[in-house]
Formats: sequence, C-alpha cells, structure tokens
Amino acid sequence: MNIIEVTNLSHRFPDGTIGIEDITLSIREGEFIVIAGRNGSGKTTFLRHLNGLLLPDTGAVRLAGVPVSRDIPRARQMVGMVFQDADSQIVGETVFDDVAFGPENLCLNECEVKRRVIKSLKAVGLIDIADQRPHLLSGGEKRRLAVAGILAMESRVLVFDEPFSDLDYPGVRQILHQALSLHKAGHTILIATHDLEKVIAHADRLLIMSDGKVIMDNAPEVIIKDVEAFGVREPCASRLGMEIESWLN
Amino acid sequence: MAELTAFHFHPGASLLHTLDVRFKILSFVLISISSLKAYPLSLSILTLVIFYAILISYLPFKSILKELRYFFVLLVFIFIARAIFTPESPVADLKQSVVAWQGIYSGALVCWRLLLVVLLGLIFVSTTKPSDIRIAVEWFLTPFPFIPGKRVATMMSLIMRFVPLILDQARETVDAQRSRGVENRKNPVYRLIKLIIPLMIRTFEKADKLAVAMEARCYSEKRTNKALSSNRSDWITLFGIICLSILLVNN
Ligand SMILES: Nc1ncnc2c1ncn2[C@@H]1O[C@H](COP(=O)(O)OP(=O)(O)O)[C@@H](O)[C@H]1O
Ligand SMILES: [Mg+2]
Repeated sequence: MNIIEVTNLSHRFPDGTIGIEDITLSIREGEFIVIAGRNGSGKTTFLRHLNGLLLPDTGAVRLAGVPVSRDIPRARQMVGMVFQDADSQIVGETVFDDVAFGPENLCLNECEVKRRVIKSLKAVGLIDIADQRPHLLSGGEKRRLAVAGILAMESRVLVFDEPFSDLDYPGVRQILHQALSLHKAGHTILIATHDLEKVIAHADRLLIMSDGKVIMDNAPEVIIKDVEAFGVREPCASRLGMEIESWLN
Repeated sequence: MAELTAFHFHPGASLLHTLDVRFKILSFVLISISSLKAYPLSLSILTLVIFYAILISYLPFKSILKELRYFFVLLVFIFIARAIFTPESPVADLKQSVVAWQGIYSGALVCWRLLLVVLLGLIFVSTTKPSDIRIAVEWFLTPFPFIPGKRVATMMSLIMRFVPLILDQARETVDAQRSRGVENRKNPVYRLIKLIIPLMIRTFEKADKLAVAMEARCYSEKRTNKALSSNRSDWITLFGIICLSILLVNN
C-alpha cells in the first residue's frame, strides 16, 4: 500500500525561481527514506508539498489515495513535520502546552488531549519536564519536543527537515534514536539532510535531489558511491570501502 | 538570558496554584486599585498578607528579590523625586538641604504601594499557567461583541513566548557587532539603528517561521478550549479579598 504518491509535481515560486520540477515517486507505508542534496536543491520545497504548506503548480500529491489539495487539514494531521529551526516552531509557553497545541487544533475533547500529550511526552522522554518553559531546553530536547508535538496528532508520516543541524553529538543521537523507535512503531519516516554520515546506516532508501529534480532513487548501498557529484559527501566508511556503522553504536 | 525575567510560571500545587484564574485576576485588580488608596496601617496588613501568600505558594523568594533588583533602583529614584518635589518641601528648601518630613513620608508611601502591586503581579504570574491566563482573557472578552477574544488571547500568548527569543536575539546581535568594533562609533543613534534593523528583520523571519509551524499543526480559531471551573474555595477567597480591599480603602 502506497501511503504517498507524487505525480509530476512542479512548483515555481512567485519570483520565478524553480523550487521543484517534475517529481514522480511513491512511498510505501513504513519506509525509512533519506533525501539528500546540496542547499537549494529543493528538499524543503518538496517536503512542504506533502502536507499542503505549499501547493503545486502542476501535478499532485496523494496521501493514501486522497489528493492533499482536497483535504488539507487531513494532510496536516497525517504528515507531521519537524522543521529545521527548532526554536521558532515552539508555540506553547510550557512543554505540556506546546504538545497540546496540535490536538487542541483538532478539536479533541480535553481528556483526549491530555491523554495524547502524556503519551507523546512519555514516548520522547520529556514527561518529567512537562511544566518547564520550552526555551530553556537543550537543542536535542527542543527537537524531541517538536516530535512529541506531531506524535500527539497521531501522524502516520513523520518528516524531518535537516534535523541534525546545530545539534551536538548527544543531540544527534537522541533524535536518531527517536526516529528509529518511531520507525519500529510503524511510522513512515522521511529525513532531509545534506549530511548522510549520521543517518544513512538506517535508511531503506536514498533520494538524491539536485536543481529541484530527483536524480537518483535507490537503496543506499547501490548509489552511495555516486553521490558526491551532487554536493553530498560520501560517508567516510563508504569511501574506505567499509560497512557504514550506525551513530548509535 | 532566558532567565532574565522574574515574571514566569513556577509549577506547584499550592492553594494559589489551584485557584480559578478568573478569580485571581479579579482579586489582583481589586487589591491593586484599593492599595493605591491605602495608608501605612492597612498597607502593613496587606504586606503581611502578601508575604504569607509568597510563603504558602513556595516561591523562590531569594531569587525573586535578586531578579527585582532593577526595579528597586527605579523605586529609589521615585522615592528621591517624591521626597524632593512634594509641595510641602519646595525646591527652594533644597538649597539649605532641607527635605521636609512630608516629602519623605509621601515618597515612602508611593514606593511601598508600587512594591506591593509588583509583588502581587509577581505572585499572580508565578502561580498561574500562561495558558490559563490566555483562556481567562478570552473568557473576559467574550461579552464584548466587537473584540475577537480568541485572536487577542492567542496574540497575547505568542507575545509572551516571543519576548525571550527577541531578547536572546538582541544580545547575540549586540555581541556580534561589538566583536566587530561597533563601540568605536561614538554616535548612539547610529549604533541603535544598526541594532534595531537586523533585530527587526530576524524577528519577522522568526514570526514567519512560527506561522508556518502553526499552520503545519492545523491551527485554526476553532479549537478545543480548556473549561474553567470555580469551586467554593474560589468564592471564599474572593470574599476575603473584597473585605481586604474595603479595609484598604477605608482606613
Ligand atoms: N519563498 C521562496 N521564494 C523564492 N524562492 C525560494 C523560496 N523558498 C525557496 N526558494 C528557492 O527554491 C530553491 C529550493 O529551495 P529549498 O527547497 O529551500 O532547498 P533545500 O531545502 O534543499 O536547501 C532554492 O533555489 C531557493 O532559493
Ligand atoms: Mg531546506
């Protein structure tokens, strides 16, 4: 069953810049996909079409068969997004309130909101600081808070846009660990990054984007040797001909 | 830097934490207004009440005092101004360095009242969840037909969220400019402009990102709202507060 189907997707910004061009692909439920490409290659633009933050000029995105543009609230609920800038996606004044923001927008009743918030905070290990003010958290904790925020909406697809930027080593490991356990729990995971090293050991599938197009789409071990032509660094281990190890070991 | 403001929520489970927000807002307004009319005897009573309130709500009193230090400086200025410029002691007396007792008395009184109001505000903010304040504001605005209560409340809470971010940003910008020698420029206007413009741009960028993030989480004005509920202890407290205010006004 394909959870996401993208057909001939193109988007041009009002100033004439081409964001993405003619992307066609489908994603099965439960896949772990890494999207790589240099800055400006269109990763963010592509991801924002999945939940209707941007609408295409031509082509369409279907989520479990239904076009995004037909039911945008459903798309936003199904596809949860963790943005690059952790600070400016925090809405609530406390950790608890921030996670409650999504479910409250879905007009769930108070009990259900509370249940979901507690469940999500437990899942990301922030339940002990539920009353803390979010901007006092560390970088890794802020991203986990963002993850909790979308878990509380029970999104089936989780999209991470450059989740490792400005995170220290423990922060990267926290996020990686989080993404993997969510993948195990059955979520479909998409991670956009220009830094393959940290995550590629876990991916089922690697997409390489360049100039708004998807240039390569295959299992990581098949194409990893060819990525440098597109502004993505080949992981060290792969250069040395060794097997790539997880950052969690 | 994020710690700059003393005015923020301290989680807890005391009586003050559990009172209904609407009653707390009402009490705050009542006491603040009536304390402006109060004189030493009733002010002493109010002071005792406030210290009692701080005590039972387990607020970190020492750190609060520390964070209020700039406010104390302000109070000193107000006191001096009052002491000198109160009618009974015209400026002429200053030459003989005589400051009338009336001036000192009225200066002290004003400072005392201000301090109590600020402490009250501090207790209110420290024991009330920001989201509850938002809901209460919405509740108070509902009867007014032309004010979009929900929107006002959301804006309020976003502003509260943004202040620390803006302060952080300001400090970062100042540091960046210092490290490039902005202090060699003696013109304060030049320096202010060089600070404000990048700060504004960054703030708008952040606001834009926040708007997108809110949209991605399905934000709309139709959303779940926590129901406020009051019980007997709220009414009892309010009754006590009304008595106190009457006492303050009529001493
Ligand atoms: N709001 C916008 N207006 C105009 N051009 C944009 C806008 N957002 C992105 N772009 C352009 O679209 C292209 C793809 O950007 P983006 O999707 O952000 O790339 P990536 O996320 O891979 O770094 C870039 O050339 C960028 O300059
Ligand atoms: Mg990007």
